[in-house]
Amino acid sequence: MRKEVMIDASKCNGCLSCTVACSAAHIPSGDPLEALLTGEPSRIAVYSVHGKAVPITCRHCDEPACVNACMAGAMQKNAESGRVKNENTGHDCIGCWMCVMACPYGVINQREKEGRSVAVKCDGCVGRSVPACVESCPNGALTYGPVNEYAETKQRQAAASQVA
Amino acid sequence: MKYVIIGSSAAGSSAVETLRKLDKESTITVISEEANLRPYSRCLLSDYIAGEIEEDGLAFKSADFFEKHNVETIFSVRAVRIDGEAKEVHLSNNEKVPYDKLLLATGSVNFVPPIKGVDSKGVFGLRSLEEARQIRNYTQKVRRALVLGGGLVGCETAYALYRTGIEVTVVEMASRLLPVQMDERASEILKSDMECEGIRVITGIGVQEIIPTGFWARLFGKPGKGVQLTNGERLKADMIVLAAGTRPAVGLLQEHNPGIQINHGILVNKKMETTYPDIYAAGDVAESIDTLTGKRSLSPIWPNAIIQGKVAASCMAGRPVDLAQQIAMQNACEFREVPTISIGQVEATEKEDQVLETYRPQERIYRKIVLRHGKVRGLLFMGDIRGAGLIGSLIRTQRDVTSIKELLLHPEISWAHVADQ
Repeated sequence: MRKEVMIDASKCNGCLSCTVACSAAHIPSGDPLEALLTGEPSRIAVYSVHGKAVPITCRHCDEPACVNACMAGAMQKNAESGRVKNENTGHDCIGCWMCVMACPYGVINQREKEGRSVAVKCDGCVGRSVPACVESCPNGALTYGPVNEYAETKQRQAAASQVA
Repeated sequence: MKYVIIGSSAAGSSAVETLRKLDKESTITVISEEANLRPYSRCLLSDYIAGEIEEDGLAFKSADFFEKHNVETIFSVRAVRIDGEAKEVHLSNNEKVPYDKLLLATGSVNFVPPIKGVDSKGVFGLRSLEEARQIRNYTQKVRRALVLGGGLVGCETAYALYRTGIEVTVVEMASRLLPVQMDERASEILKSDMECEGIRVITGIGVQEIIPTGFWARLFGKPGKGVQLTNGERLKADMIVLAAGTRPAVGLLQEHNPGIQINHGILVNKKMETTYPDIYAAGDVAESIDTLTGKRSLSPIWPNAIIQGKVAASCMAGRPVDLAQQIAMQNACEFREVPTISIGQVEATEKEDQVLETYRPQERIYRKIVLRHGKVRGLLFMGDIRGAGLIGSLIRTQRDVTSIKELLLHPEISWAHVADQ
């Protein structure tokens, strides 16, 4: 069963550890300070929704609108891992922003890389057993596991709250 | 089952992928009049002209795309006729290709305006890689270019030519640039940006005649041409690029039509079926229903072509699905580092339309949203495109946004705000 990053916003207190860990995980040295200084963007964002912190990141959709929209062929969904990414896919992102326009979750941003403006999004932390954001979350707001397991937990919680 | 697809660009290639996924056995044949063995992205041709990417960079599929999907390819050959009764496609080399299900993904063709001299040397269209190659070669020899048309292709071509180091003039017949995708203010921002760069922009005036090089000039190998504008002004240009819009490529059906209804494009239903059995159409050539207006329209943009190709293929393979909500008019572009996204209706057209906007000229940021009855009708984001995808999904789903109205223009609006309302 494919694993996904699950978000339980009720447990998030907005510490932003995930964003720092994400930036650091995407530079070779893995150093958070260097990531901060070089302006390496975070691919997960924490929004303030009526004062409540809510982390949001890519859902790696089954039928990704961003992949349909990409006219450079850079944005691809890997059939095995299920990850949707636009880096190291054999085609270069050219910064046309079609994916930004298409993504209904608004999780694709712009960044400068090697003198060009390109799209940046969650790549599912390729090569890591657990994504950096999940690893760094001290509150259990981000978890990593099979989707059906998470759905079952949610159902149990919902059922319990009905009883109580 | 024999599937035949005419066209190998966005809609055609996405149909190939879907067909092969659903049907491992049947034969798939792709017919294209172009010689390119690898699907390439027409939208990137301007970057190619500018010399910023090479031919490899135009490809949006792997080099072994057709092999990998076990597709029989018939390239450099034109489909000239469809025999609906015999279920055959006739080719320009007199061969016939039988089909069980046929997909027309012929795309669009460059509209050539009826101007005298339009067929002379140094006048180009920009639709195919071959044309782009010719333009790229030609730019080496010239000093001045004129782009006829200030739409998306026209503006992108103008910037591309400008980046190669030649002088560029854009002539647009409408009163402003990008009259379809932008409102007046956004057009003005774009125009002033172009003019700051040294690109001359002439609007509200057409081209009357392209005057070929005189005998003596030709004798001495000068490429110069004259261009007579409708207001009497005369410009000089060494090359001219026609970017006066496109038309659905329905030429194949003009002489012999088995009974496929055509309005502007080929009429299709939600399953991408044409009005003739077993013939489907997708992409630029198809005319489908726009979610926002509820009316039939062409939707000549990349993402819609890809999705339509998938839907058509799925229906052809016996797994019928319906085309989801699509908005014909949406575009993303970037002109000299000012990213712009426009979706749907970008101007108030009815009395009840409400406009939200922020305009900060010093930062070159302009964000505008059009609402009607508490639902988003359109957006135009320039300079700062954050949130465009999210607001775009609100347009497609026509969700009521009354309670989050004050947040809509905010660049930090997120899916959580929408889900929370």
